[in-house]
Amino acid sequence: MAGLELLSDQGYRLDGRKATELRKVQARMGVFAQADGSAYLEQGNTKALAVVYGPHEMRGSRSRALHDRAVINCQYSMATFSTAERKRRPHGDRKSTEMSLHLKQTFEAAVMTQLFPRSQIDIYVKILQSDGGNYSVCVNAATLAVIDAGIPMRDYVCACTVGFVDETPLADLCYAEESGGVSSLALALLPRGGQIALVQMDARLHQDHLETLIEAAMTACKSVSKVLDEVVRQHLQEASVLSRE
Amino acid sequence: MRLLSALPENMSPLRLCVPGEKLCSVGDCNQGTGVYQRHGYIYSSLAGYVMRKNEGEELPVISVVRETEALLLPDVGAIVTCKVTGINSRFAKVHILYVGSTPLKDRFRGTIRKEDVRESEKDKVDIYKSFRPGDIVLAKVISLGDVQSTYLLTTAENELGVVVAHSEAGAQMIPISWREMQCPQTNAKEFRKVARVQPEYLEA
Repeated sequence: MAGLELLSDQGYRLDGRKATELRKVQARMGVFAQADGSAYLEQGNTKALAVVYGPHEMRGSRSRALHDRAVINCQYSMATFSTAERKRRPHGDRKSTEMSLHLKQTFEAAVMTQLFPRSQIDIYVKILQSDGGNYSVCVNAATLAVIDAGIPMRDYVCACTVGFVDETPLADLCYAEESGGVSSLALALLPRGGQIALVQMDARLHQDHLETLIEAAMTACKSVSKVLDEVVRQHLQEASVLSRE
Repeated sequence: MRLLSALPENMSPLRLCVPGEKLCSVGDCNQGTGVYQRHGYIYSSLAGYVMRKNEGEELPVISVVRETEALLLPDVGAIVTCKVTGINSRFAKVHILYVGSTPLKDRFRGTIRKEDVRESEKDKVDIYKSFRPGDIVLAKVISLGDVQSTYLLTTAENELGVVVAHSEAGAQMIPISWREMQCPQTNAKEFRKVARVQPEYLEA
């Protein structure tokens, strides 16, 4: 099919990156004073805002409370101005519900919910600008927000979306690559232990390539975790300097 | 704030840590708060400062603390301070405000049943003569509750019960016995299940 090459002969992608290069990650923690924890994260042109409340008493139906753990309630939404065409995006649409469920499953694996029986932790993520890798950016932003809220976690949760083109795995896909017919796989990882929290893929891929793709995704997630680590340490340093004064 | 400026001598200098960071092995230290154990090593579960407290003969206790207050939930056996929001003949509904001496960011709901108000003569208790809406009560958590109910609390001890109450005239009442309080303005006596506050908590 004529059009832009996803991977040139010299090994450059549409935005000039190499195959294993991630987009630039910039993040800030503690952006909202009124929430228990909050974070803003940009990965290339994808921007996400995550806010965490909790643990607090179960809201709504008490029958959904678990006797030995906290319930994690996630809500994913996209701003109406986040995509190229401004569309009305009601909260209850299928894609948002599916993403919210994936986020919930991811964080149930990492957050130590057994410490807070019969309570609820709310994680709200909003995409402000969408340029591919929505799920991954949400997970990374939500990790920072949960750390900011002081909720105990086993480890960071880092996520990355990878694709397979011309026998080469591409790390951290942008929108043009995702919609260009690349088989994309999203993976959420707990980097220190190497444990996978969630793998999601709904494209066709030959089974021989799966191993390579997952390896590439894990390497990319570990790079993301290094960046997030820097952000958290920086934030802690700043917070302690401020309080000392 | 106060945390960093008031370091006792038996603590080593603080260093930063992040969730998932390996701190030490299980044989070196005991587990404190903010850490968890896996495969024979102790890992941090919070982003904060590592504190190693030496307690005499035993192994030092390692814990991770944050600048802001730790997250707290009422636990079974904890003494909590609550405010009565509603009463009926069988129980009193309360909002839990403090756990120990730490204020909660979000109030939790609790219930004090009629049979948990005092030790003696449990079935002859009259809730209207024990609590009134607006009273501040010291209670102990006996259960986290199940599907139908909220936290279950008890005041069936001498040190538990009403600590602050306002009379019908609006003035703060003075306790005169374990059962009565008196209003300083009208000298009227009202019935409450009064807590016997420990002497060290009373200001001189």
